[in-house]
Amino acid sequence: MDSANLDFINRMLEQDSELREKIKDQVTEFDKKTRTMTGLLNKIHSTPTAQLPLLLDSVQPILESCKETTGAIANLVPANQFWRWKEMWSISLRNAVFSATLIEYLRSGTLLTLPQVSDILGIQPEWQDKFTLAAEDYLHGLISLVNELSRLAVNSVTLGNYEEPLRISAFVKDLFAGFTMLNLKNDALRRRYDSLKYDIKKIEEVVYDISLRKLAPVSGK
Amino acid sequence: MSKQTTLNTRSAIIQVFDGFRNELDDHNDRRERLIKSSRDVTNLSKKVIFLLHRIMTDDASPEDQDDHARAARAVSKSRDKLKEIQNLFAGFSHELQGERFWRYQRAVSPGLQEYIEALSFTYYLETGRLISYHEVQKTLSDAEGNNYFPLSVEDYLLGLSDLTGELMRYAISSIPRRGGRAKANEVCAFVRNCKADFESFTPYIRDLRKKQNVTSQSLEKIEDGVYLRVFRHLSLKVPCYLAAYAVAVRSSEYDLPPEILDDLVSRTMSSAFGGDHGGSTRRKRPREDDQEGMEYND
Repeated sequence: MDSANLDFINRMLEQDSELREKIKDQVTEFDKKTRTMTGLLNKIHSTPTAQLPLLLDSVQPILESCKETTGAIANLVPANQFWRWKEMWSISLRNAVFSATLIEYLRSGTLLTLPQVSDILGIQPEWQDKFTLAAEDYLHGLISLVNELSRLAVNSVTLGNYEEPLRISAFVKDLFAGFTMLNLKNDALRRRYDSLKYDIKKIEEVVYDISLRKLAPVSGK
Repeated sequence: MSKQTTLNTRSAIIQVFDGFRNELDDHNDRRERLIKSSRDVTNLSKKVIFLLHRIMTDDASPEDQDDHARAARAVSKSRDKLKEIQNLFAGFSHELQGERFWRYQRAVSPGLQEYIEALSFTYYLETGRLISYHEVQKTLSDAEGNNYFPLSVEDYLLGLSDLTGELMRYAISSIPRRGGRAKANEVCAFVRNCKADFESFTPYIRDLRKKQNVTSQSLEKIEDGVYLRVFRHLSLKVPCYLAAYAVAVRSSEYDLPPEILDDLVSRTMSSAFGGDHGGSTRRKRPREDDQEGMEYND
């Protein structure tokens, strides 16, 4: 190999490895934030409904602060190289999607759309080729949401809230109807999608127990 | 879907997921198409490599007995075939524009690496040198110099590291012909340089480590081959690991001029093997130590 070529290759490899280190630092920050959020949100299983807004308010600032991290990563990633690096942060990003959608569900009982989650995380549309929320990552976040809600269905009964499981059941079934629209390949998303039916079964059992004992008014739905 | 409304009805959710389905289908279809194209590239590239081997070991045609003429013929035929592959790249480059390249890099890289192997082999026969990154990228761009897609350093290096295996076969099959031992030694030195250059890249690229081991084996085969082919058929019993070194020692012992030794080797080879000068040297035992095979040469 002639020396010009050798130097060039070495320089390229060196640059990539420096960039990887820099991104890694930001991803560590991102990971800390998302883990703190999921840690706090884990308390929903033991928090009475009346105190829930207070808990959600305490998570909100951390969710807001994710904007700094997404901005920092978008700044580092070279043009057109989003897909080259995205695996480094996709776990953190999925957790952030999970936290954002869970908070919204607990506040309003509705589903945040992908553009809304992007907006909350401060992801700018013009970062398309550097940092974006891919459908795949959003969907992974939603599956985590369903997993979590199936636990909440059980635990809200323990806390004496008999209406919540009915709400969860309706919400999760709507979401599942959405997932059945997809042609999933035999990948990670598909395997996690397959787990949804166990969550639904778990929720249905709770709903069954409640309605059998007439603990909550079962509406038409 | 407006940015302000969250989804609270099933029909709204289904509408959004309908969009996701189209997006995912689109992605999967594109990926499948690129994997197929990559397989086509691999097949054509393998054919180029076979073509090069075939011409370089072709004894039948008397018109180009010297290596240079033969290499020139091989290279000119190979260029045509390589052009065909470059046209394939041009054909699917629209699928790899902008951020899409890195999304589908893994779908196209097997074919791309095989192409780089064929290209670098051709380039070696023509120039005796290793093709540079920029020269490879230049073959992957149109007449105006626009790249079909960016060449990743990783694909470039992994493609090149496969070249050593082909050079090994080339060296081994050269041995029985006149001047073949010199040729094999030359290739040996070249492969050794490649290995040394690549060593410093190994920590950066995961798959390169495996390939470096293969390169060591190839190198060892050439070194052993230079020696084994000669002495096994002269019925001399010498331990096999002495490799190319022994050629030098023994030829001085027998006091034969190199041309006569060449002829002798050539004659014994053809009577012992018929037409088979394939690259299947027998390896006595795998060696753990990469460096060991490198000591006995020049």
